[in-house]
Amino acid sequence: MGAALWFPHLPTLAQTPQFAPRDEAPEGFPAGAGRDEAFYSCTACHNFKLVAAQGLSRRQWDESVALMVQKHGMPVLDDKEKKIVLDYLETAFPPRAPSSGGWQNPFLKQ
Amino acid sequence: MSKIERTIDELYADDSERADAVVFGRETGVNRRGFLGGAGLAAMGAAVGGAIPFSQNMPAGLIPAALAQAQPTTPPAAAPAAPKGPQYLNFPGKDAKLVLLGDRPLVAETPAELLDDATTPFGKFFVRNNGQIPDEAKDPDKWEIAIDGEVNKPLKITLGELKSKYKPQTMRFVLECGGNGRSGFNPPARGNQWTNGGAGCAEWTGIRLADVLKTAGVKSSGIYTAHYAADLHLSGDASKPTLSRGVRIAKAMDPNSMIVWAMNGQPLPNIHGGPVRLIYPGWAGSTSQKWVTKITIRDKEHDGPGMTEFSYRTAIKPMIPGDKGDPANFRILESMPVRSIITSPGNGGKLPAGTRELALRGAAWAGDNIVETVDVSIDYGSSWKPAKVGLPRNRYDWQRWTAMTKLPSDGYYEVWVRATDNRGNRQPHITGNWNPQGYGGNAMHRIAVLVG
Repeated sequence: MGAALWFPHLPTLAQTPQFAPRDEAPEGFPAGAGRDEAFYSCTACHNFKLVAAQGLSRRQWDESVALMVQKHGMPVLDDKEKKIVLDYLETAFPPRAPSSGGWQNPFLKQ
Repeated sequence: MSKIERTIDELYADDSERADAVVFGRETGVNRRGFLGGAGLAAMGAAVGGAIPFSQNMPAGLIPAALAQAQPTTPPAAAPAAPKGPQYLNFPGKDAKLVLLGDRPLVAETPAELLDDATTPFGKFFVRNNGQIPDEAKDPDKWEIAIDGEVNKPLKITLGELKSKYKPQTMRFVLECGGNGRSGFNPPARGNQWTNGGAGCAEWTGIRLADVLKTAGVKSSGIYTAHYAADLHLSGDASKPTLSRGVRIAKAMDPNSMIVWAMNGQPLPNIHGGPVRLIYPGWAGSTSQKWVTKITIRDKEHDGPGMTEFSYRTAIKPMIPGDKGDPANFRILESMPVRSIITSPGNGGKLPAGTRELALRGAAWAGDNIVETVDVSIDYGSSWKPAKVGLPRNRYDWQRWTAMTKLPSDGYYEVWVRATDNRGNRQPHITGNWNPQGYGGNAMHRIAVLVG
């Protein structure tokens, strides 16, 4: 099923070389059981940076995976696979301390 | 004589399943998913830089997205570490201070101090994609847009015809991501963590969408639009629309809703949806479909990706923050909320010791509404001073504001700004009305400055 079938007026819809995403690897993210499984389950479509930017409870992670399956064409994970992925996401990216609106004190000494 | 090798894209374009076999030695089972006997799995895994867990679920004939997006000529020597701290966008013509929220899909926001121009130049305009970025159109005037559905005369019209048959107009409009301000939600809401930088204000040239819809003749049963576009789904599956949003027909018929082909007097750049996109000013940016190819008029609210459950929706009855929402309690986000930003000085500005007056300026906008007042505070909201608010050049333009404030001493100050619209809506101190995907966040903007 080629792109040309859907958009006959366009010569090709191959990825433009104008922008190449930065390489990502599981090792760039917090270590833990299930990291590889979580990484490759998510990065078939989008970068893992987006995942790492979230801080969610296990229930919210579960809902996020369900959303990706329902709305964004993610292959269904069986129960065993899903447990591995959720175990990692819950541990690596839990809810964060109260949000400050993305605002950080620019003068705070680190 | 050297052998001419075909690119992986060419192979997949011709015959994707054969390409699987040629490139990776992959053979799928009868359900066209998975890897029979593991054939090709190791090769494909090596090419994408690692194992492919759950490979049995991978549809046949899909270029693994990691390959489709980037094909490094040499494999990385060591696994790249995720960079710490903010990352910045590196894109031709874009300001190097744009903050990268993600690169697949490519999303970048503009720090407030870069929105200091009355008209946001291309280089400072935020970037939001939901799918892959299409190739640049080789012959823009031949780009075709179809109008169908609940119309008397379905039509296909090229960009060239749009330019010659209809009266053009140029308007300065704010374009704003529906999730702008999301990072203020507590607990964090799902999605890109925008601060206030998912917005910009550019001059858009095009025609009124209503003029084309009138040619097609919208039937009385036509109450909603559905937009389709040429950007490929992130998975590479061309059968899936990446994002398909729509609006009530009244918004589509508004003289400010446009089909546009130029931004700031230049042909609409590919990264912003060029050669042609929709603009529905004041509403969530995702309605302003980039690379638009088809507008279907429907007899009910559209239900494409980005329209249902919690997507671009807010709670009708306020919900417990962090709770699981009930989709029946949600309604579609239409007008964006009132928002103001301080564009000078920038956050982290340093002023010489003894400075006792601070000149402030910024922008404010309010979706479908008009900004009536802007106030600034240097004491965390104990007291407010009104700013001078300019008039919009046209409806949906942002309004620039200026203010002078006295500084009683040297030291650390936070400057807070709030805007109020003509319907009495005022920005809150903190982001409320929590919803799972984080829409409607419009808490006051603040900056910190250090005197001395």
